[in-house]
Amino acid sequence: MSFWESFISYLLQGWVATLEILAISIPLSILLGLSLAVARVYGNWLISLIAGGFVALLRGLPLVVTLLIVFFALPKLGIYFSPFWAAVIAFIMCSGAYQSEYVRGAIRSIDVGQSLAAQALGMTKIQEVIYIILPQAFRRALPGITNEIIYLILYSSLAYLVGVQELFSIAKHFNSLQFRPIEIFSTTALIYAFMATIATLFFRKLENKLKIPGLETI
Amino acid sequence: MSDDIVLKVEDLHKNYGNVTVLKGVSFEVRRGETKIICGPSGSGKSTLLRCLNLITRPDKGRIWLEREEITNRNININKVRQKIGFVFQEFNLFNHLTALRNVSVGLEVVKKMNKDEARKIALEMLKKVGLEEHAHKYPAELSGGQKQRVAIARALAMNPAIIFYDEPTSALDPQLIGEVLEVMKALAREKVTSIVVTHEMGFALSVGDEMLFMYDGKIIERGIPQEVIQNPRCEEARRFFQRINELYVGKRR
Amino acid sequence: MVTVWDYLPYILEGVWWTLGLVAGGLALGFIIGLPLSIGQVYGHRILKLIVEIYAWFFRSVPLLVLLFLFYWGIFPATGYKLDPLTCSILVLGFRSGGYQSQIFRGAIQSIGEGQYIAARTLGMSKLQGIYHIILPQALRIAFPSWVNEYAIILKDSAICFVLGVMEILTRTRYVVMATLEPLLPYFIAGGLFIALTYGGTKLVNMVYEKTKIPGLIGRM
Repeated sequence: MSFWESFISYLLQGWVATLEILAISIPLSILLGLSLAVARVYGNWLISLIAGGFVALLRGLPLVVTLLIVFFALPKLGIYFSPFWAAVIAFIMCSGAYQSEYVRGAIRSIDVGQSLAAQALGMTKIQEVIYIILPQAFRRALPGITNEIIYLILYSSLAYLVGVQELFSIAKHFNSLQFRPIEIFSTTALIYAFMATIATLFFRKLENKLKIPGLETI
Repeated sequence: MSDDIVLKVEDLHKNYGNVTVLKGVSFEVRRGETKIICGPSGSGKSTLLRCLNLITRPDKGRIWLEREEITNRNININKVRQKIGFVFQEFNLFNHLTALRNVSVGLEVVKKMNKDEARKIALEMLKKVGLEEHAHKYPAELSGGQKQRVAIARALAMNPAIIFYDEPTSALDPQLIGEVLEVMKALAREKVTSIVVTHEMGFALSVGDEMLFMYDGKIIERGIPQEVIQNPRCEEARRFFQRINELYVGKRR
Repeated sequence: MVTVWDYLPYILEGVWWTLGLVAGGLALGFIIGLPLSIGQVYGHRILKLIVEIYAWFFRSVPLLVLLFLFYWGIFPATGYKLDPLTCSILVLGFRSGGYQSQIFRGAIQSIGEGQYIAARTLGMSKLQGIYHIILPQALRIAFPSWVNEYAIILKDSAICFVLGVMEILTRTRYVVMATLEPLLPYFIAGGLFIALTYGGTKLVNMVYEKTKIPGLIGRM
């Protein structure tokens, strides 16, 4: 087998692992982001404080450090995660925290009249948030959320640090066997760039599909 | 309290900080009545409406809606609000929903109606205000007058016991006011119980049953619109209507 | 008995290296990003395309991959033997340049066209107009995003531990290995990063407040 044949076949396995990480992390991070934002805007002082503290913590720590703490430090407290789940959890927490900032800003930018009208119809706070506020806030936060998803795709490479056999891991391992760093790492780079670009196009299309005529998202 | 009285307000007071905005407001609204409330800005008209549907809590006083005391702490506010329709000065249509869905969303979410049934009723309401062709447009695609008519349809769809209109035409361009007033007049003639805060005197004279003039947090003049506008007893009311007259005389609509 | 706290000075020394990475990366990113943004807005089609490809590449490839690509592949191929620190600063700088070019592009484009036209009608050349009228405003508008870039590079600098740069995280990991105590060292490292992130941001914002121009608000 030639260099490229074995390289690509190995790489594809790694790529599948990366996609598995992303398939779980992306949706859950969006969910966490929405939940944290709602908690901070509508929660009582305690919930809001906890959510705010969580976000401040996860935004102040580098993702690497969070990841290493989850995998190496938590076992000391009796919490054990496999490499895959340690990575996924760290990614979800970190990305969710960043996304919650965008959603929170979007919620606060919505005119108070929308709330008043919902209340006037007799909607409970929960109904108001789910049916009236969040649909609008999500659309406004989408550009920011897209940004964070792109970061998530790129930073998934850090899973290598806790031993997950994902795309970068495989590439690096292959490089230690068949030292050809330029071909190996530029191919890897292009695969990530490809994923990032596809994701950007996908979210741009999503933005357009969700666009309300006349409602500015910025 | 007789069955005929839809809304009874007793001695309402409201302070914001050390400014007293409502200084003891009392009145009743009978079924089918169109009550007009007017007065200079700062008289407390908007605050009054917001207290009536409990968006703001009054500091003192009681309110009964259809014989139920709604100022009691134990009532379910959301259930009460279902019985009160509210039309805002700034329309407040839900931006992310079409006109049809704006009207049906209350039925679907709050009254838990079946989706198809809700949309059928919504379409009928839109027909009533003359907008069924625009059912699938979004608020941003509608003119101010159209938006307000959708807002009225939205309030009507909930089949409320009473509708509050908070200066419904104040945010509209002059040429769009007419279409909204026409809808309101038609509803008044159908004996839809309502309270209208407005300075559209033509409307008041045409379909108003009783007019309350507010000044400095109190109702200082009340009676049938013709009486209050043409023969006010207090000085403040006289001055107010004189000014309105000067502004609106000769205005074609 | 040796405790983690005995290693504290050792870890703290890493702060200088971290700040060095950040300062270097930020500065290089500025030197690259600003001209690129000007080229993208005012240059002709080909220049615009080059800038867009550069920005696209450095914003679509993970830092980890870039570090390895340059340290093991590209730099050795050019014949230069680079130490981990310099290589890291260069990679951080190239990458930041890509991001900063878009920050400044947005800032420049948000300035009304009238400003530039007015400058030209006064007789200024293209370059003079950009330098005297557009840039001073653009830089102030871009400032909040730029402060954000500081926070991002600060956190990304930790990734450079893979090349062995003696910054905070590298040292922390050595301490963990030496004391077999993962909890405390990582918390200390975390605390340092949080302090540097929020402290640094606050410091820079205080300076910004002092030099603000009324009416010219930065986009937050």
